[in-house]
Amino acid sequence: MSTDNNKILVIGGGMSGLTAALEAAESGAQVVIVEKKPYLGGRVAQLHRYFPKLCPPACGLEIQFRRLRQNPRLTFYTQAEVIQVSGAEGNYDVTLRINPRYVNDRCTACGACAEACPAEREDAFNYGLNKTKAAYLPYDMAFPFKYVIDASACQPNCGQKCHAACAYEAIDLNMRPQTMTHNVGAIILAGGWDLYDAAKIDNLGYGQVKNVITNMQMERLAAANGPTGGQILRPSDNLPPKKVAFVQCAGSRDENHLPYCSYICCMASLKQATYLREKDPESEAHIFYIDLRTPGRYEQFMWKVRDDEGVKLIRGKVAKVEQEVGSPRVVITAENTATGNKLRDTFDMVVLAVGMVPATKTTPFAMPLSYTPEGFVIPELLPKGIYAVGSLKSPLDVTKSMQDSTGAALKSLISLSRR
Amino acid sequence: MAGETVIKPDLDFIKRIVAAGGDTAKKCYQCDTCSVVCNLSPDNKPFPRKEMIQAQWGLKDVLKSPDIWLCHQCSDCTVYCPRGAKPGEVLAVLRQMAIEHYAFPSLLARLVGDIKFLPLLVLFPVLLLLFVLKALGVLGVRVAEGLTHQGLAIPKGTIIYSKWFPTLAIDAIFLGAAAFAVFVFFQGVKRFWNDINVNPWTVRLKGGIVKNLVAVLTDILAHNRFKKCETTFARSLNHLMVVFGFIFLAVVTGTAFLLEWVFHIESPYNLFSHLWWLKVIALMGTGLLLYGIYQVYLARQANAEKAGPGTYFDWQLIYLVAAVGLTGALSYGLRALLPIPVLAYPVYFLHLVCIFCLFFYAPFTKLAHLVYRTVAMLYARMSDRGF
Repeated sequence: MSTDNNKILVIGGGMSGLTAALEAAESGAQVVIVEKKPYLGGRVAQLHRYFPKLCPPACGLEIQFRRLRQNPRLTFYTQAEVIQVSGAEGNYDVTLRINPRYVNDRCTACGACAEACPAEREDAFNYGLNKTKAAYLPYDMAFPFKYVIDASACQPNCGQKCHAACAYEAIDLNMRPQTMTHNVGAIILAGGWDLYDAAKIDNLGYGQVKNVITNMQMERLAAANGPTGGQILRPSDNLPPKKVAFVQCAGSRDENHLPYCSYICCMASLKQATYLREKDPESEAHIFYIDLRTPGRYEQFMWKVRDDEGVKLIRGKVAKVEQEVGSPRVVITAENTATGNKLRDTFDMVVLAVGMVPATKTTPFAMPLSYTPEGFVIPELLPKGIYAVGSLKSPLDVTKSMQDSTGAALKSLISLSRR
Repeated sequence: MAGETVIKPDLDFIKRIVAAGGDTAKKCYQCDTCSVVCNLSPDNKPFPRKEMIQAQWGLKDVLKSPDIWLCHQCSDCTVYCPRGAKPGEVLAVLRQMAIEHYAFPSLLARLVGDIKFLPLLVLFPVLLLLFVLKALGVLGVRVAEGLTHQGLAIPKGTIIYSKWFPTLAIDAIFLGAAAFAVFVFFQGVKRFWNDINVNPWTVRLKGGIVKNLVAVLTDILAHNRFKKCETTFARSLNHLMVVFGFIFLAVVTGTAFLLEWVFHIESPYNLFSHLWWLKVIALMGTGLLLYGIYQVYLARQANAEKAGPGTYFDWQLIYLVAAVGLTGALSYGLRALLPIPVLAYPVYFLHLVCIFCLFFYAPFTKLAHLVYRTVAMLYARMSDRGF
């Protein structure tokens, strides 16, 4: 293996990883992106709109994908993991495992395999709101634009049907996991975040009470490429909810769950209140909060949403979520601390503002690193030549993650040229 | 400005809350999870969120709030508290301070709440009882030739405790102690009732006191509120056993008093006499008391992680009740089952000391909850607060 001083490994192909990789590659470095999922774009691809401008994230992603396609110094692997790392700054040996997609580059995304596929799987991209076939396209503008076969959902021999249906010989059921090694000068960790498991918050009813969903599910319900085609429909009966409660700090700032503030959930709920209000002028959004955290200029967005007569901001945390007897509606209890009285109200749907867990909490980096008890990377204690970006260090919004990524790209370039 | 509220924080008050075990009060960020998860908290002005901010801000008037007494320390709030502020524990400390606030003399309550003074508090009944024995001329400490102490003389023959400590003297001492406790409680309740019927709790009370008191007492005897606890559900049953243990024993004591002074039937009453039923009730009471308090002890240990380890003030009553029950059972055992005079009389003496502590210090120990919580529940009931 030759020493390649000019190479950077970026772990994570979400908005942060893409940005860091692109900035570094466009500055002349060789860059390898390793992405665990079968597509690039990460959580941003799942969002309906960005706050505070309420523009769709798709256009930003498109730009990144175009930059990526045009750049010969950038390669990426999807369904890939880093399984081993050794060495030091300027000379890291990295072993990757690339899991089989069972679909090769001949795929035209015609969809014949999915049509023929008899097996189904929970659609992780839509947070389990619907199912897809075991042969599926991750989402409508997935990059790479290729189908995937989920082997774990695929019954024995069900792959044969896909294989037979494919007119392009794009299905290769004999694919096996591959390992490869790269020698890189610097590593950027951009593993991003997972949504906290809301079912663990046993008093908020997620998974027990019908029509209690997470904020990320709300993004998918509102998104045009989501399971409902962009109509906000509650899961139990596909009726549009008129009155929706947003439960802030669902697990966040709670030492029984996530002891930290997840930073984005207040803005996310305010933003989602606009989704609801825009689609149905008669709808009501009730946001229950401990304190609304809208840092910096985001406060202006809060003012705008607050002034909408269909939005009610109630100072009091929801601590009980129950099903209304004999109905799919949801009863929530909070204390309105402004009046000092308990408030029990019934809603058509309840959105839990669930927080972020760093990906390193569940999947630590393949080399020993220092983490906070919550699983965040401690940037000051990273080995030389390894940099972490975005929500691996603390919960963050997209704008700040991207700024951070540019910083990490620069730090990596400095690291490469130092030698 | 009309309706202006001037907040006067009392820093010493906050420091005392922290010192007494409410050190988590400052962690509260007022999210109201506690008020919502509490099954006992009324819809209108629920506790304990508001008490938490009053405690944090050093607003001493919180001690006059009847709501701190409506809390049964289920610890549901403490389990769900996102900040580890332990509202259940903080309210327990506030109740301790309220007991101190309403007790007369307040100093005695402070002594009771501080482990340093425990030997002093126990010494008082020991000396008092010894003094009475001496005054009656039955104290066995005799100074023979020279200055040799021969110890307490143990009466010869069948063990009959009244041979050594006359029933009349006991009744006089314990009725005195009880009268003292009742007097202190009366003063305390009078002040408490006045306090809760002025600001900020002025409401029009509904219905007659007697009728409502009967309803509240029924509620208490059935432990209807206590049963609503979730995290520490078993506590209601444990507490119920202790309460009924005491009720049985009170019935026995009252009956014995009547037998002694009205019917002139002298104690002891044995299982194999025509008064066997009295002894059966006594044994049942003791059994309930001991088993109940043992379960209380176990539950405390089991819940320590969730609900906190408890304060000295809290444990004091548990140990005192256990001591009353154990010395009582041993006094009986060493007299009637396995007669050992050398042990029986001293254990009986200890039993008397324990009971004296229980009675005499009642308005100053956690036992005072019996009275203040009843009053607070009565008030809550009469002011439409869901009790």
